[in-house]
Amino acid sequence: MLLFYIKKEHAEFISDIEAETVGTGIMGRMGNKGAVAIRFHFHNSDICVVNCHLAAHTEEYERRNQDFKDICSRLQFRQLDPTQPSLTIMKHDVILWIGDLNYRISDLDVDNVKDLISKKDFETLHNYDQLKRQIDEEAVFVGFEEGEINFQPTYKYDTGSDLWDTSEKCRVPAWCDRILWKGKNIKQKHYKSHMALKTSDHKPVSSLLVIGIKRVNEEAYKKTFEEIVRNIDKMENECIPSVTLSKREFHFKNAKFMQHQAETLSLFNDGQVPCQFEFIPKPNETTYCKPWLTANPPKGFIAQGGSVEIDLEVFVNRTTAPELNSGKQQIEDILVLHLQRGKDYFISVTGNYLPSCYGTSIRSLCQIREPIQDMPQDLTVPEMESCGEKILDIPKELWMMVDHLFRNAIKQEDIFQQPGLRSEFADIRDCLDTGMPDSLPGSNHSVAEALLLFLDALPEPVVPYSFYQQCLECCTNANQCVISMLPQCHQNVFNYIAAFLRELLKNSAQNRLDVHILSTIFASLILRSPTKQDLTEKRKTQEFFKHFLVHGSSQ
Amino acid sequence: MAGKDYNHLFKLLIIGDSNVGKSSLLLRFADNSFSGSYITTIGVDFKIRTVDVNGERVKLQIWDTAGQERFRTITSTYYRNTHGVIIVYDVTNPESFVNVKRWLNEISQNCDNVCKILVGNKNDDPSRKKVETQDAVRFGESVGVRVFETSAKENINVEEMFMEFTHMVLRAKIQSQNRAERERERERDTVNIGAQRDRDRRKRGKKCC
Repeated sequence: MLLFYIKKEHAEFISDIEAETVGTGIMGRMGNKGAVAIRFHFHNSDICVVNCHLAAHTEEYERRNQDFKDICSRLQFRQLDPTQPSLTIMKHDVILWIGDLNYRISDLDVDNVKDLISKKDFETLHNYDQLKRQIDEEAVFVGFEEGEINFQPTYKYDTGSDLWDTSEKCRVPAWCDRILWKGKNIKQKHYKSHMALKTSDHKPVSSLLVIGIKRVNEEAYKKTFEEIVRNIDKMENECIPSVTLSKREFHFKNAKFMQHQAETLSLFNDGQVPCQFEFIPKPNETTYCKPWLTANPPKGFIAQGGSVEIDLEVFVNRTTAPELNSGKQQIEDILVLHLQRGKDYFISVTGNYLPSCYGTSIRSLCQIREPIQDMPQDLTVPEMESCGEKILDIPKELWMMVDHLFRNAIKQEDIFQQPGLRSEFADIRDCLDTGMPDSLPGSNHSVAEALLLFLDALPEPVVPYSFYQQCLECCTNANQCVISMLPQCHQNVFNYIAAFLRELLKNSAQNRLDVHILSTIFASLILRSPTKQDLTEKRKTQEFFKHFLVHGSSQ
Repeated sequence: MAGKDYNHLFKLLIIGDSNVGKSSLLLRFADNSFSGSYITTIGVDFKIRTVDVNGERVKLQIWDTAGQERFRTITSTYYRNTHGVIIVYDVTNPESFVNVKRWLNEISQNCDNVCKILVGNKNDDPSRKKVETQDAVRFGESVGVRVFETSAKENINVEEMFMEFTHMVLRAKIQSQNRAERERERERDTVNIGAQRDRDRRKRGKKCC
């Protein structure tokens, strides 16, 4: 049994009270031996008081040691917070351990013991006290303290008297009943037994302890707490991924059709953590950048202190050229570089695009007499129409390429079959877009390829998309009627190319071309499907075009 | 401290013209520091700070946005899931004050029912002050937004402004929670009356809102 009283004035500072018991008796579990304990939180100290009754008999001191260990491990207090593990006795700041610990005085016969008691030579007697010996050997109550025992043994008396045991067992007197403590700042004021009480074969012991208690200094606590919170925040802020960018603004000067331009963006991870980066789409956009731009790689990982180089590449192809040529689009974009769990960086991409006949419509080209790059950028097509100038029959750029080939390559072996050179294409393109020279640079094969690219890049093919279906339907007869329905400039281009190809076929002995080869190459450029083309459709377009290579035009 | 180390998490957004001191306010509040050199924010940055409001831990995640006009459409994405928006102007730059209207407009287009506060920063040199306090307050009253004047440089009123704003955001959250609670209770009360009438009532309720 354990009765625990608290002074009224302390009650408000006590919380988290729990009581527990553990049996170490028969079978190691029963309650004839064991402990009861109470724990509580007082101000900011956790206190535990244990009362126990350990195994009896002089020779059983090891059993008593074991009981102590069992109590320490098996007695567990539940915590208010169910996620926390339960508390053991040893987890407390202050432990008071009392009870009939049952350690005896041994290795000294009963007469000697009684003699020493009568002389009040307790000091000598202490040497034979099992508990003190076991504590000295660190076999039990490790870390516990006990005050000086200046009272005679409390066991065993004839009940109702102060006489030592007179039964036939005639037990040796012993200090069975003890008070021990563990914890800092504990001072014992007294430790005594009470001979006046005679109701038991034991005499009770009592002790007055002054115990230092941890009390929270509210002001200091708040201040320290705030400081800790600030520090945690600071750490969290420092752990936000961060990079430095070599450049925030990229300018691509004089971007040209099919001409690759790249700049390097270096990211340096100056944060305290590794980071994951990715270019992300802007609101209401599905891709992270305009179609003429790519970032390579668009996402990746940078170790702390590491860096990554990203290539920003501008490449204008036939899909993106029309809107850039017409000025509807500019080389202008903002990339959003996002760091996972971190900030976003905006990267501006600007530049200027040099318009090209590549990716410009037949209709527009027919209206331009000057090289396309001599045109004022913001001049729109309808305005030119109103100028009243006569429009060209066919685009002059087309004429220049076809005329060049007609004059120089009519007998060229494998013409249209061999690829040209990239660098020569660039020269040809610049030539077409900036001036009107007498002859084009580059090899015949390069000029031939430039012509194919020109047809391929037309935003509206020579046979406009709206006429595509009609041409398929009449692929075997009455072709001419469809062609005569095309807009005049398209019609001109169609007939011009067909006539040029027929000239080529006249020299098939030298250039090794035949109707099949030419219709395969040109049908797919002149008759482009508005949707995906299947094989039968493809064959039909070739059939359609072949007709013009064989029979010629009626005009 | 087990589990979550805060009771509330709020996302706050700082907006306003370029060069009014948005990043400086954030740096002052989160790091208690100030940098004299001006670095334009080209992108979106954030810092966190945990504060105590009436014994509750409120974790603030404060987003600082680029003020430049050309980024306006991109920065509008960041208004999503925001609990409070801080609109900053520069008391020495009347134009930035005039533009507050545009920023308010930006907020109403991108969020519904968000807490707002108007902050006149760089309020540390009376000789350079061009936007008078009373004008700002009068404007604030007309649009129902509280006005604070701060100096991130001299650390004047920054802490107070953020703390007051956090109070406002927390109050708004508790109010809307209470409203939702009352709403739920009302629904519970009406559940037994019959499904059809219950539905009708809800329809009516919507109309009068």
